[in-house]
Amino acid sequence: MHSEFNQLPELPAKPRDWLPVWATLLIIVIGWLSWNLEINPQTLIGGLGNMAQFASRFLAPDFSRIGLYLKLMGVTVVMACWGTAMAFVISFVLAPLGARNLSPHPRIYRTVREFFNFCRAMPDLLIALILVSAIGLGPLPGVLSLGISSSGFLGKFFAESLERVPHRRYEALASVGAGFVQTVAYAGWPSVLQEVTGYTLFVLDRNVRMAAVLGLVGAGGIGSAVSTSLRLFQYGRASALIIIIIATILIIDFLSVWLRARLK
Amino acid sequence: MTWSWPTRSGRPPLMFIGGLLLIILFLVSTSNVVEFNPNRLYASGGRIVDFLVRLVTMPDWNYLPTLLAALWETIAMAVVGTFLALLVSVPMGILAARNATPHLAVYRVSRDFLSLMRALPELVWALLFVSAVGLGPFPGVLALAFVTVGFMGKFFAEHLEVVERKAVEGVRSTGANKIQVIRFAMIPQALPDFVGSLMYVLDHNLRTATVLGVVGAGGIGYDMVMSIRLYRYDRLIMIIASIFVLVALLDLLSTYIRGRIMGGHHHAL
Repeated sequence: MHSEFNQLPELPAKPRDWLPVWATLLIIVIGWLSWNLEINPQTLIGGLGNMAQFASRFLAPDFSRIGLYLKLMGVTVVMACWGTAMAFVISFVLAPLGARNLSPHPRIYRTVREFFNFCRAMPDLLIALILVSAIGLGPLPGVLSLGISSSGFLGKFFAESLERVPHRRYEALASVGAGFVQTVAYAGWPSVLQEVTGYTLFVLDRNVRMAAVLGLVGAGGIGSAVSTSLRLFQYGRASALIIIIIATILIIDFLSVWLRARLK
Repeated sequence: MTWSWPTRSGRPPLMFIGGLLLIILFLVSTSNVVEFNPNRLYASGGRIVDFLVRLVTMPDWNYLPTLLAALWETIAMAVVGTFLALLVSVPMGILAARNATPHLAVYRVSRDFLSLMRALPELVWALLFVSAVGLGPFPGVLALAFVTVGFMGKFFAEHLEVVERKAVEGVRSTGANKIQVIRFAMIPQALPDFVGSLMYVLDHNLRTATVLGVVGAGGIGYDMVMSIRLYRYDRLIMIIASIFVLVALLDLLSTYIRGRIMGGHHHAL
């Protein structure tokens, strides 16, 4: 019995743990990058100290011009709605052309998808900067830049939703002689109605956040007021503006979660 | 609720038509606010075309070294910001996961805290940090890290909440305490999702890092604003092209890594 116990095969070798190696490498790379950016523990601690002192100036929000602030926030939200509507219209037209199983030609599919990719790759603020210098200050360049950049997201989401529709629905319409437009109108969009609503709400949510910062480059909305008040060291006003922005974003977040839950 | 299409009558659902009408009414009534009228649009169209025509010029090749340095700074900011956020968001994620949190009150508080961090866009934080600690990449990294904790903490918590109970019970049956259960049963299961979220966040941060320079928080954004203000189209076209290439390359890389780690399971949004 005892000898048999000794003859048991040896346990397989414990798998080598590579974690310490990877962690060391990661720390070296991050350390080197931080050194490049002139960030070190000293600046980090000093910065946090500054920040605590800075934050204390925000404790007395100045709501004396609340009417103006609410109006600016209203403009911001309207900009986001218009940008989303514009993106929706662009994606509504282009997404069927960019869905692999619906597109009339592979070349059209590729072109539309590349267009969406391009729109997504360009940061909103860059488009806004360009449009502001091309057509002047105001909310219009903001709306256009939101529309362009979010149509990249929305178009991709819509096209992917249309690709996930069971193929038999498209076949059913093709079998009764429906053309491209008819297939899209009677099998495509009706099948993805709920997803489309969800994605549009998601993009609206994103656009409200983006619209709040577009003012920094002169594209309308509340952002310009925040940047002006900080430049003039009016921390009370900046604090009030930020509270309004946070409140609006949280309300819209809550509303869109509620709406999405109801639509399911 | 009659919310799906096709309906019995064959027409689109009533709620859908009503909602659409309301939305259109809202948009039309607010078109003045955003100056959305045919005249302005027509005039703008011409100016945009004009701008684009002027944009297509010979690039200023002497600018290339500066551009590469600014791009490098942008990438470094995104990576360092994401890493700093990672250090904070793993513990935050554990506190904010319903099945891993030490107490339900801790769960609620940390969830609310995370959504507060997410609420403001990076650029607003960057603006605040710039006026607190001065110009440069440091406030940019802080702003990125701050908002990223809000997102990554939430993602990590959600990944921990969907782990299989079997492994958790298995580890617990050996007498493991709460921390050991998290370490040996929950984190290994959630790891692929963690990496997926991390790649998504890194991608997002790189895009954001390109614009933080607009408020003076480092990266290529500053060059972007300056070349537009000074009408340096020969530089602007290089900046736009380089951002596009950078984002496209990262897109490819993150698709590749996510494909390898998650085995074709794509992370939505």
